[in-house]
Amino acid sequence: MTSLSVKVDDVHVDYEIFSERRAGLRQRLVGGKGSGQRVIKAVNGVSFEAFRGDAIGLLGSNGSGKSTLLRAIAGLVEPTSGEILVSHEPKILGVGGALMLDATGLKNIKLGCLAMGMTRDELAEKVDEIVEFTGLGEAINRPFKTYSSGMRARLLFSISVSIQPEILLVDEALAVGDRNFKDKARVKIESLLANAGTLFLVSHSTSEIERLCNRGLWLENGKILADGPIADVIAEYGADT
Amino acid sequence: MTVHDDPHPESDVEDQGLFSLNESVSSRAYVADIWKRRDFALSLPIEELQSQHLDTFLGNVWHLFDPVISAGIYFLVFGVFLGVGAEVDNFILWLVIGVFAYDLTASTISGGAKSIAGRQGLMRSFRFPRAIVPISNALGHLLSFGFQFLVIIACTFATGIGPSRRWLLLPVIVLLHSAFNLGGSFIAARLNDSYRDMQEIVPFVLRLMRYTTGVMFPVETFFGKNALIDFVVRANPLVQLINFYRWVIIGTDLNIGLSALALIESFAILWFGFRFFRVAEYKYGKA
Repeated sequence: MTSLSVKVDDVHVDYEIFSERRAGLRQRLVGGKGSGQRVIKAVNGVSFEAFRGDAIGLLGSNGSGKSTLLRAIAGLVEPTSGEILVSHEPKILGVGGALMLDATGLKNIKLGCLAMGMTRDELAEKVDEIVEFTGLGEAINRPFKTYSSGMRARLLFSISVSIQPEILLVDEALAVGDRNFKDKARVKIESLLANAGTLFLVSHSTSEIERLCNRGLWLENGKILADGPIADVIAEYGADT
Repeated sequence: MTVHDDPHPESDVEDQGLFSLNESVSSRAYVADIWKRRDFALSLPIEELQSQHLDTFLGNVWHLFDPVISAGIYFLVFGVFLGVGAEVDNFILWLVIGVFAYDLTASTISGGAKSIAGRQGLMRSFRFPRAIVPISNALGHLLSFGFQFLVIIACTFATGIGPSRRWLLLPVIVLLHSAFNLGGSFIAARLNDSYRDMQEIVPFVLRLMRYTTGVMFPVETFFGKNALIDFVVRANPLVQLINFYRWVIIGTDLNIGLSALALIESFAILWFGFRFFRVAEYKYGKA
């Protein structure tokens, strides 16, 4: 029996963009919708269903709505209309996810795990394993702000997979890791899929998507252009670009 | 590998237990979720206190020096120059209590207003009840207040009063005071997230309150001319909250009716602030 893990039903996500700066009181009070405010339809009527064991690669050009869709599935962005249902709380992993910049990597691991709802006991049990997985060595005791983007991604990935998420959303987060870490991440993702989890992967590397995913979704201008087995979707996407 | 060319027949699909992440949970479930992450709420401010002021020579000692120096300045201006001290018993202790208690409210609310903006990274990476952000801010300021209280205790001994049985009520007073501060933080946090102009306005509101809540001089001295103004000022829960500390430590008079009103007001502000904050739960940290 196949079981649903994510159901996306006619989802729209609009962003209101203020041409100059963030809305101030003056703009809110006197400006209204007209003054320099534009609506960007980042996701424009997307519907699909994802099942356990699906590893879905999202393809599409910059600004096609891939990241926004992932953030909506993660519950970090509220759809303007439409509905997203999930079987478990998804865990999203993105580049530039910063925690506490002044705190050490180790403290960030602890805070991240507690933020995900771990108890102190669970944390004590897992912390060594997570530190080990990051492969950051001595750097784990350095402030997070001194980390390179690759090191930050490794730390965040290690925190996120420590709870064995049922639904993992990865937004370009593997692109910055070094080869060694990418291999470790792939093994971790494969074990996640073997346990009937669901993966969504946004990457500009088509080969990475091809390697990790079994299903493809091609998004353009916030709409789905193709949905099917990864090889077919990549072929279609490749033919277009 | 699953093939998705054909839509799954309905009978094959088990879609039980699907839920929406955007649906508002009950207040009870929300509070339970906060409680589950209590270690997180407490770790945030502790971590912050540890990494703050690392670049200054005296480090965390500034948490203590800051209000002590403020109290010193107020003593000079109001006690020595304006002679307010003559009207109040044990003016130094009376002033120190007022300054410290008011500072707890002022720093909690102004910190609460900025707290959402300051935790963007955490909120973008993890999903947790956003109320934890202002709550952990309030806990952090409460920890600093704990250290500051040592100064109050020292003053108590220096002026020869010493602790009495009334001190046992302090935890209740701190709890009541915290309810007020947290309620105010919730309101300020949401307003500041919607309108960034708020962070320019908050300091003025706090300054107005500083001069109307009897921090450096008794409210009675300055507001006796108009009965309505007199009542409005006395009905301000913060005036009574500060007075509670003075009543416990120095033995200042307590107005039972106004104290009861302050108790109701403090919890009403917490209740309203919590509801008000939750309305925009899914908007925090996304701008």
